[in-house]
Amino acid sequence: MSGFSIDRRGLLGTGLGASLAAGLGTGASAANPAPLAPGRTRADFAGAMKAFRGVVGAEWVFGDEDAVAPWSKTYIPDPAHQYKPVGAVCPQSVEEVQEIVRIANTYKQPLWTVSTGKNMGYGMTAPATPGQVVLDLKRMNRILEVDADLGTCLLEPGVTYQQLKDYLEEHKIPLWIDVPTVGPIASPVGNTLDRGVGYTPYGEHFMFQCGMEVCLPDGRLMRTGMGSIKGSTAWQAFKWGYGPYLDGLFTQSNFGIVTKMGLWLMPRPPVYKPFMVRHANMEDVPKIIEAMRPLRVSNLVANCNLMMSASYQLAMFKRRNEIVPDGAPLDEASLKKAASANGLGMWNTYFALYGTEQTVAGVEPIIRATLTASGGEVLTAAEMEGNPWFHHHQTLMQGGLNLDEVGLLRWRGAGGGLAWFAPVAAARGVEAERQTALAKEIVEKHGFDYTAAYAIGWRDLHHIIALLFDKADPAQEQKADACYRELVTRFGAQGWASYRTGVNSMDLVAQQYGEVNRDFNLTLKRAIDPNGILSPGKSGIHP
Amino acid sequence: MLRLYGGMIVLALAGPVAAQQRLGEAQAPRAPEQVYAKVCGYCHGRNVGPILLGRHLPAETVKYVARHGQNGMPAFRPTEVTPAELDALAAWIAAAPARKEEHGQ
Repeated sequence: MSGFSIDRRGLLGTGLGASLAAGLGTGASAANPAPLAPGRTRADFAGAMKAFRGVVGAEWVFGDEDAVAPWSKTYIPDPAHQYKPVGAVCPQSVEEVQEIVRIANTYKQPLWTVSTGKNMGYGMTAPATPGQVVLDLKRMNRILEVDADLGTCLLEPGVTYQQLKDYLEEHKIPLWIDVPTVGPIASPVGNTLDRGVGYTPYGEHFMFQCGMEVCLPDGRLMRTGMGSIKGSTAWQAFKWGYGPYLDGLFTQSNFGIVTKMGLWLMPRPPVYKPFMVRHANMEDVPKIIEAMRPLRVSNLVANCNLMMSASYQLAMFKRRNEIVPDGAPLDEASLKKAASANGLGMWNTYFALYGTEQTVAGVEPIIRATLTASGGEVLTAAEMEGNPWFHHHQTLMQGGLNLDEVGLLRWRGAGGGLAWFAPVAAARGVEAERQTALAKEIVEKHGFDYTAAYAIGWRDLHHIIALLFDKADPAQEQKADACYRELVTRFGAQGWASYRTGVNSMDLVAQQYGEVNRDFNLTLKRAIDPNGILSPGKSGIHP
Repeated sequence: MLRLYGGMIVLALAGPVAAQQRLGEAQAPRAPEQVYAKVCGYCHGRNVGPILLGRHLPAETVKYVARHGQNGMPAFRPTEVTPAELDALAAWIAAAPARKEEHGQ
């Protein structure tokens, strides 16, 4: 810190001074270094790190505390400061990955693999268990193939949605990408492997994945689907190959390191028309779902809809104390007033039509009639142009890029606290109504707000609850941790488990999926990765 | 500027050097304006993050905050913004004039 001139105005808000005093905000300090993996000695760790430097060069291996800080930043509640990597290694090629894996086997040094490490409320690049070295694949960012006729691409894990979109636009290739909400800095490969979703008709990302190259825990490379057939031209065209379908084994798992992935890209449609449906009351939840389900199941509405609560929307661009005073509950009347002042309803459902002038004109009246009958106001750019929330969704539903959702992190105080809780249900109004009531009860009991959305998939609901807290306040972080556990546990008791979760809750969620499932995963893990070097703890799978 | 991309001739516009990515090659080093446009500028000056340009923020502060992530801001690793890119970016932000179109909350 010496030689670092601190300009008060340059601190950009509160918190930096405190972070400096607390040891760079990582929770570790020189007197209290991040712990090693169980059973590993300082000599083992030093040996592995030295060997890694021999592969990628000293400048791409990070071991001391300050150097590792960028891999330690998280938004999740972590009151015990336990989700900290002990180092990072950053290869730029598949061959380097293979070498690193061989070294990790020799020294039994666990590696926590990340692509671009920007999953926000799921833990970023922080590993699920102590002592892991982050295997950071961001430097492997080659776009290997784009086939404009078939609408396919082959990517390395470090490619961002921004890179892919820039490539398509610069080369005037009329294909769209499909982004999660933090597209510019996130990875198509990483998001697909975590089975994330986006908002065009290709929004269920894993459904549009085709072919992988995987570095197995013994360092060998395997290609899935048609990829292992010499001379095949269908690696990115035909998903299934022959025999057991393997690609799913490498999603949300720790059985291999995906070094290449094929994806399908949607041809840009001649007409794209975004809509917003505004509902006035919190109690409108079941009506919206019941109206939307037949439109989704029949694919008349082809994209994954986002049904956003007023509080979630306002939290993107506003601070909580602009709506209610600090310490006061976020009451419905205040929320309604703020929503209305910003052109929003209590629920705001976004979908789009894609097609030709003729098909869009044919479908629009049917959809308008159904949604109007549900009590919603059906709005388009004609009414909503210039509204920042409409603009946000208009951008997302055509695979456009923004980082507007990072604004959620400023909702309370100095901010910086976010954990996604994402339980799944069938797309039925009654289920959503019960979920909303239960979530509100739990978060409000712990002093937090129900800032939530429903992603209406083909036949399912992902209830996306953003647990927002002030991570600079240790008492709030502690409460957020307790609140999150209660959400997982009580939703699970009703049959609603998460589709994806952060490193703070992987074991908890894995428990809910049952003993037989856990045993099966463990049997695979022990057979495929006997030294337990790949991402121990991912999805609750421990060696 | 005339460049060849897979047999296609692309006439790049004048202005900041557009280091376009070529098929099969890793992303080339980016100029500060590009990093700002493709990373920082999505939040800073666009409702989400505080305005940076025109404030003469010390370059060292910019670098520290980028690597550690301030409050709600994520940390950016050397694999995302290389040390050389960050040095140039921090100096550029320190010297850059304000932009009228930017707005912060």
